[in-house]
Parts: sequence; structure tokens; C-alpha cells
Amino acid sequence: MNRIRNARRSFLKILAGLFLLPARKACAGGIFQSPVATNRLRPPGAVSEEIFTGKCIRCGRCIEVCPYRSIIQLDARVGIHAGTPLIRAEDVPCYLCMKCVEVCPTGTLRRIRQEDTRMGLAVVDRHRCITWREEALCRTCYNVCPFKEKAIRLDELRPVIDEKYCTGCGLCTHGCPISTEDGRKAVNIEPLYSGLRR
Amino acid sequence: MIPTKERKKTSTITRWRLFIQACAFLLILVNPFLILHFHFTFIQGWYQSLGIGKLWIVSPLEGMESILVARHLYPPLLVGMLIPILLALLLGRVFCGWICPIHFLSDLSDRLVTVVTGKKRIRDRFILPRSIFWYSLVGEFLLAMILGAPFFVFLSPAGLVGREIMNAVFFHTLAVEGVVVLLVLGMNLITRRFYCRYLCPLGALLALIGSKRKLKVRRNPNACVSCGLCDRACPLGLKPSLDEGKSVHCWNCGACVDACATNALSLEWHTQANNLPELPVDHAPGSSPAPEESKR
Repeated sequence: MNRIRNARRSFLKILAGLFLLPARKACAGGIFQSPVATNRLRPPGAVSEEIFTGKCIRCGRCIEVCPYRSIIQLDARVGIHAGTPLIRAEDVPCYLCMKCVEVCPTGTLRRIRQEDTRMGLAVVDRHRCITWREEALCRTCYNVCPFKEKAIRLDELRPVIDEKYCTGCGLCTHGCPISTEDGRKAVNIEPLYSGLRR
Repeated sequence: MIPTKERKKTSTITRWRLFIQACAFLLILVNPFLILHFHFTFIQGWYQSLGIGKLWIVSPLEGMESILVARHLYPPLLVGMLIPILLALLLGRVFCGWICPIHFLSDLSDRLVTVVTGKKRIRDRFILPRSIFWYSLVGEFLLAMILGAPFFVFLSPAGLVGREIMNAVFFHTLAVEGVVVLLVLGMNLITRRFYCRYLCPLGALLALIGSKRKLKVRRNPNACVSCGLCDRACPLGLKPSLDEGKSVHCWNCGACVDACATNALSLEWHTQANNLPELPVDHAPGSSPAPEESKR
């Protein structure tokens, strides 16, 4: 009897959930939760995250064409975002070769120039960066940055990001030798622009 | 009694179809290896969107959903949808019958099942009204609009085959939604091409586009002896003996044409000239001169 009641309860829950789908979208949780987060980025030229999942047809051509295997394909565990491309900056960053934007058939990745890419913004965690803590003289992020002296410059030997030039490619995150227990680095890419630009 | 040799000779369409299906499947099977090991990116993608050099082919259902959900027109997308739509306009659901990897895998699994069970053919145990097909298409569009994501694109079995192969080759993982492919293949045991018959929204869209198609299975009523061989051969459970080969559901695979013992069926290009009313039937199907036993 209890099992039947439980079955009925879960059935009613599912039913109610179906009716409340649009409402749930508004609070953006569960299966609608976007996979974009710190160091979890969309490929270059991506449209705003609100329409990304509606526009992308999951054809995987950006993933296949990426020569660095930077882009991975998400699966059904991320709900309706299954099949969309994602870059995990600390694993393999984007080298800004701009091949993926050339092949996207739906315009989800817009054809933009390399320096116009805004996948996110690098943020130096000054409490974790050993240079900022004055424990060592590390400038790996500065060395690997493709827009050296523009996106990252050294201010009294300490790295400083300029949001005017930072593309959010994640090369600095990938290169950063400091790993914290929550899987982050001392410099992380925050997907600032993913919700703002269309 | 039809000599076996003669029967073999007439199965040319099936052989061609299997060849093309195998080539289409090999394309998505081999291509990820070419990309991974040789950086040969001339061809990318699978049957959701295929890029061959600068030529882009986009599946019309996915493309339309993307446009509807995002409410934004992207001209290259429209151009990419043109080829499949033209193909469907002229030839009907040939994508389903001749290219779709699900049909190919179903064909293979059907052969496997007949070998394992020793039965000559698989029965259709569960028959539904064919109108479900259209509800599936409408429901799919509604669901996509409600969810705000093109729903079919991440659960389309036709695309999933390609995606799973790519994921396996590139990242040595399989996406969990690959279960859908197994489910679709499993449903073949209940009814042949159950998914393709009743549930596939892409098939429904292609059928709708191809409702005035030029290439149709034509039955010569004078040669037809109503033996029912074609009805048994049709993977979609249509009855070409009752001219259901002209219905929108037919995917022009030619299985009935090959099964026909009297060459009464043929795939024909429909023009104004042969669009004339059917010739009067010489004999009623019941009083056919050739009794059914003679063809076994």
C-alpha cells in the first residue's frame, strides 16, 4: 500500500512538474541550470546563454573541428543543455584559432575576430596568487597570455588584468601553477559576458 | 514456382540501398578517426548537420526548431536546409529509407534477429493509428517551444548515433542519452520500425514536405496478382498491394519492388504524362488466375 502511495505521489509530482515547466525555467534550476560557470565557458562568439541552448542544434561540428580538443560535448546529466559545447578552461583552454566559429551552421557561434572574443574575464585571486601574496615571483599567466602587455600586464611584477583586452580564453588559468581544493586556480575565468551579449 | 535465381536478380534496389546506407554509416563512423588522427576536417558533423567543405547540410527539423526557439534567422542556416528540403520535395522520405543510420542499424539488427530466432520474418505485434506520426511532429514543436530548447536535437536517434561515435572516438566516453538508440532498436522487436513509423518527428516533417513527391511506388494492376509478398516486405507495414506505396508514409526504400514476384511494382518518376487515371483492372483480386500457393 505504501509503495502504491509513493508511486502515486511521485506520479503527481511529475505531473505537477510538467505543468510548472515554464515557471521552473524562470527560477533557472534543475534541468534548466546552465552549465556555464567559473572556468566553464562557451566557445568563442557564442550568443547569450539565454538563447544558446535554443539555437544550438548539437551537431558537434565545433567539437570535431577544434584542433586542441578544447571543446567537449555535454551529456544528458546537464538537462536540456545536453549536447551543447563547453570549454573547461583549466583542463584545455581555448587557443583562439577561431575554427569553430567558421563551421557553426546555426549562428550560435557568431563569426567574430579573434580579439573580439569575450568568453569571460580572467580574475586574479589576490589571496591565492603567490606573487600577490609576495611568496614567490611567478608570472606564468603573463607569459602564456596571447595578448601579453594588453590583457595581462605586470604592475610592480604582479599580474593585473585589463578587461578591455581580455578574451577569456583561459590560457592563464590553464598555466597557473596554483590549484586550490575547490578545483580553481589563482586566476579564473568568470563568464561575465555570457548573459549580456546577444 | 519462381526460380530462386530470378528472384535474386530482382533484388537490385535492396542491394543498392544497403550499399548507400553502409556508405552513409561508414561516413559518420570513419570521419571522427580521420579528424582525430589526421586532422582531416574537410567533412565535419553527422546527420544533424554535415559540413562538406563549404557545403553545409542542416537537418530541416533541427534548423526550423532552432529558428523558432531563438526567433532569429541566420541565412546560412536557411541555405543549409535547402538541400534536404529539395530532396524531400522530389523524392519523399528517402533520407529515412536510404541514409538514416537508425534504419541501417535496424536492418542489421533485423537480420541478426532472424538468424538468432530462426524465424523468417519479424511480425508486427503492435499496430497504432498512423495519425500518431503527425501528433508526434506537432507535439515535438510544442515541447521545443515550451522548453525553450530544440528538444529533438539532443534526443534524435539519427543524430545520437553520430554523436556517440564521435564521443567514443574523441573522449572515450559515451553520452547517457545513447540509451535512446538502444530503445529505438529494441522497439523493432515489438513492431518493425516502430519508432520510424509512429514517433519520429523528423520522418513526419520529411513526409509532410514530400506529400507531393515525384518518386512513388507504382503498381501495375494488370500484372499484380495480389499475393501480398510486398505487404510482408514493407518495413513500415504499408500495403503496396492496396496502392499504399503512394501514401505520404512510404519512404521509397524499394523493399516491396524487390519482393514483387510479377514485377508489378516499380519506383517511378511521377510526371504529368503518367499521372493519368489508372487503367481499369482486368480481374478482381479474389479471382486472380495465379493462386497464392504457386509463389511459395
